[in-house]
Amino acid sequence: MEPIIEVKNLVKVFHSRGRKITAVNDVSFDVFKGEIFGMIGPNGAGKSTTFSMLTTLIKPTSGIIKVSGFDVDKQDDKIRPLIGIVPQKLSLYPLLTARENLELMGNLYNVPKNVMEEKIDYYLELVGLEASADRYTGGFSGGMKQRLSVIAAVLHDPQILFWDEPSTGLDPQTRSVIWKLARKFNDEGKTLVFTTHYMEEADNLCDRVAVMDSGKMVALDNPESLKESTGSANLEEVFVHFTGEEVRD
Amino acid sequence: MTIRTELRDSLIVAKKEFKILSRKKALVIPLFLFPIIMIVFFGYGMGGTVKNAPILIVNDDTGRASSFLVQEIGNYSGKYDGNPMFSVTYTKDMSQSEAESKIDAGIYKGVLLIPHDYSDSIAKNESTSLTLLTDSSDTTTSGIIVNFMKQLLAKTGSVILNVPNIYGNLEYLDFLTPGIIALTVFMGSVATTGSAIAGEKEDGTLVRMLMTPVSKRSVILGKTIYQLILQLARAVVLIFAAYLLVGFHMNGSWLIIALVLVIFTLGGVGMGIVMSSRVEDMESFFQLNMLVTMPSMFVTGVFFPLSSVPNWMRYIAYCLPLTYAIDAMRAIMIKGQGLNAISTDLIILSLFAIVTFTLGVHLFRREA
Ligand SMILES: Nc1ncnc2c1ncn2[C@@H]1O[C@H](COP(=O)(O)OP(=O)(O)OP(=O)(O)O)[C@@H](O)[C@H]1O
Ligand SMILES: [Mg+2]
Repeated sequence: MEPIIEVKNLVKVFHSRGRKITAVNDVSFDVFKGEIFGMIGPNGAGKSTTFSMLTTLIKPTSGIIKVSGFDVDKQDDKIRPLIGIVPQKLSLYPLLTARENLELMGNLYNVPKNVMEEKIDYYLELVGLEASADRYTGGFSGGMKQRLSVIAAVLHDPQILFWDEPSTGLDPQTRSVIWKLARKFNDEGKTLVFTTHYMEEADNLCDRVAVMDSGKMVALDNPESLKESTGSANLEEVFVHFTGEEVRD
Repeated sequence: MTIRTELRDSLIVAKKEFKILSRKKALVIPLFLFPIIMIVFFGYGMGGTVKNAPILIVNDDTGRASSFLVQEIGNYSGKYDGNPMFSVTYTKDMSQSEAESKIDAGIYKGVLLIPHDYSDSIAKNESTSLTLLTDSSDTTTSGIIVNFMKQLLAKTGSVILNVPNIYGNLEYLDFLTPGIIALTVFMGSVATTGSAIAGEKEDGTLVRMLMTPVSKRSVILGKTIYQLILQLARAVVLIFAAYLLVGFHMNGSWLIIALVLVIFTLGGVGMGIVMSSRVEDMESFFQLNMLVTMPSMFVTGVFFPLSSVPNWMRYIAYCLPLTYAIDAMRAIMIKGQGLNAISTDLIILSLFAIVTFTLGVHLFRREA
C-alpha cells in the first residue's frame, strides 16, 4: 500500500504560561492512499495538535511529516491546495450566507468561477441546505453548520480530507449524513483522516484506527485486529484497554 | 506564490471585509456619523456661524459715511445660507453703560456705538474710532461679530475699532475639523482592524482562512486595502459634511491629504494588528484599545492648540503619532501648505507606519 502521509518521530511542545506541555510525543505512522483513517483518544491526547501539524497550520517541534510527498516544513504551500480541512472548532462567517461562505472558500482555493457555482449548488443539495443557501450562517443550527463546513472543505477537490470531530454534538440524522459523505468522498478516491469520540463511528467507517493517549500513539490497526488482539467485543473496550478508566484533565 | 495570486487573494479578503462591514449596521452608521456629529456638536458649540444675531447700532451721527456703514451691516448675510447673520436695530443717544446693560440683559449680542463726528472725520480723512460691545459669554457670536466688523472697517481705512473684550474665535471650526479627521482615521483604523481580527480569532474564521493556500501576506494586504478605502471614504464624507453643515473651508490639496491619511492609516492598521495579536477575543481587544487610544484623544490637541497646554502634556503629545497627523492635516487644510511644510510630520508618520506594520506582520501568526 502506498503511503500518502508519512509521519516520523513527530513531537510538539507548547510553552504556555511558563508551563511546558508535550502535546505530541514522538509519534510515527503512515496513512495509506485511499483509506479512511480514524484517530481516537481521550481529551487532550494530542489529536487536534497532530492534525494542525499535518495540515501545515503549526510547525512541529521536531520530526518529519510528508503529505503527498511534500515536506510540511518547506513545501507547505504545495500541500495546502491538496487537503481539505474541517476544524474541530466550527469556523464560518456568521454575517455571510451559506453560499457566500462557500464562495469565499472556493475563491481562496482558486476554484474557477463556473465550476464553483455548479459544485456549490450540487453540494448544497447533497447535504439538504439548498433552501438555506441565502441565509446568514449565524442563525444556523450546529448540524447545519457542520454540514456546511464539510462541503466547504471539498470544493477544491482535495486528495486528502481532514475532519476533526465531524460528528460531535450532532443528532443521529446529521451524523448519518456525515457518514454518507465520508463514504462517498472515499469512494471518489479521497483519503479521509478524522478524529472522533464515538467508538461505533470509528468501528463503522475506518479502515484503520489509531489510539492516542497523552501525546503517544498507543495502537494502530484495523478495528477487527484491535478487537481480536485485546480480546474485546467492541471498540469501546479496545479504547479502555489502551487508555484506562482514569478521567483526563 | 506569485504577486498576481497574492494580489488576487488580498482582493478576495478585502471584498469579504466590506461585505461583512456592510452587514454590521450597528457599526457602519456610527463609523460615518460619529465624527460628523462631533464636528457639528463642537463646531456649533464653540465655533461655527451665527444666524439672526440681534445687534444694536447706536448712531449719533447723521452723515453719509455712517448711514453707508449702517446699511452695509443691515444687508450683510451669511455665506452658506440665506439667513442674514445679524438682525439689526437702530437707535441714538444711548450711553455706553446703558448699552452694556442691554447686553447684560441678553437683548443684544452686540452694540456698535458710532460717535456724532464719525462722518465728518471720514470726510476729512481724520482718524476716528468706533466702539463695539459684545456679549462676552457667547464666545462664538461675539467672535464672529468682531471679525465681521474688522473686515468691514478694513475697507473704510482710518477707522479704529475699539473692542472692549475680544472673545471667541472664528477659526475654531477650521481648527477642529482637520484634527477630528485625523482622530477619526486613527481610532477607526486601529479599532476596526484589531476588533475584526480579534473577532475572527474568537470564531475560528481566521485560522480557517490561514488553512487555505492564501498567504499571511495576502490576508494582511487585503485587510489593509479595505482599511485604506474605508478610512479615505470616511475622511471625504467628513470633509463634505463639515462643508455642508458648518461651512468648513478646505484650502489645501486633496492629494496631499490623501497621502497623509494613507500613511497614517497604514500605521493604524499595523497597530491594530499588533494589538490584536496580544488578545484572544474581542472584549479584551476593546479593553486594550481603550488604554492605548484614549490618551491620544485627549492629549494630542484635537480640541485645543498644543501651545495652550502645560509642558508635561505637550511632551506626551510629542510621543504620540496622532499629534503629527493632526499637525500635518491642519497645515494642509487650513493654511493650504504643501509637502515642504509637513515633511517632518510625514517622516515621523512613515516611521510609525513602518514600525507597527513590520511588527504586525511579524506577530500575525499562522499558529492560532
Ligand atoms: N496552542 C496551545 N498552547 C498550549 N497548549 C496547547 C495548545 N494547543 C493544545 N495544547 C495542549 O496540548 C494538549 C493536546 O491538545 P489537543 O487539542 O491536541 O488534544 P485533543 O486530542 O484534540 O483533545 P480533544 O479530544 O479534547 O479535542 C492539551 O493538553 C492541550 O491543552
Ligand atoms: Mg481535538
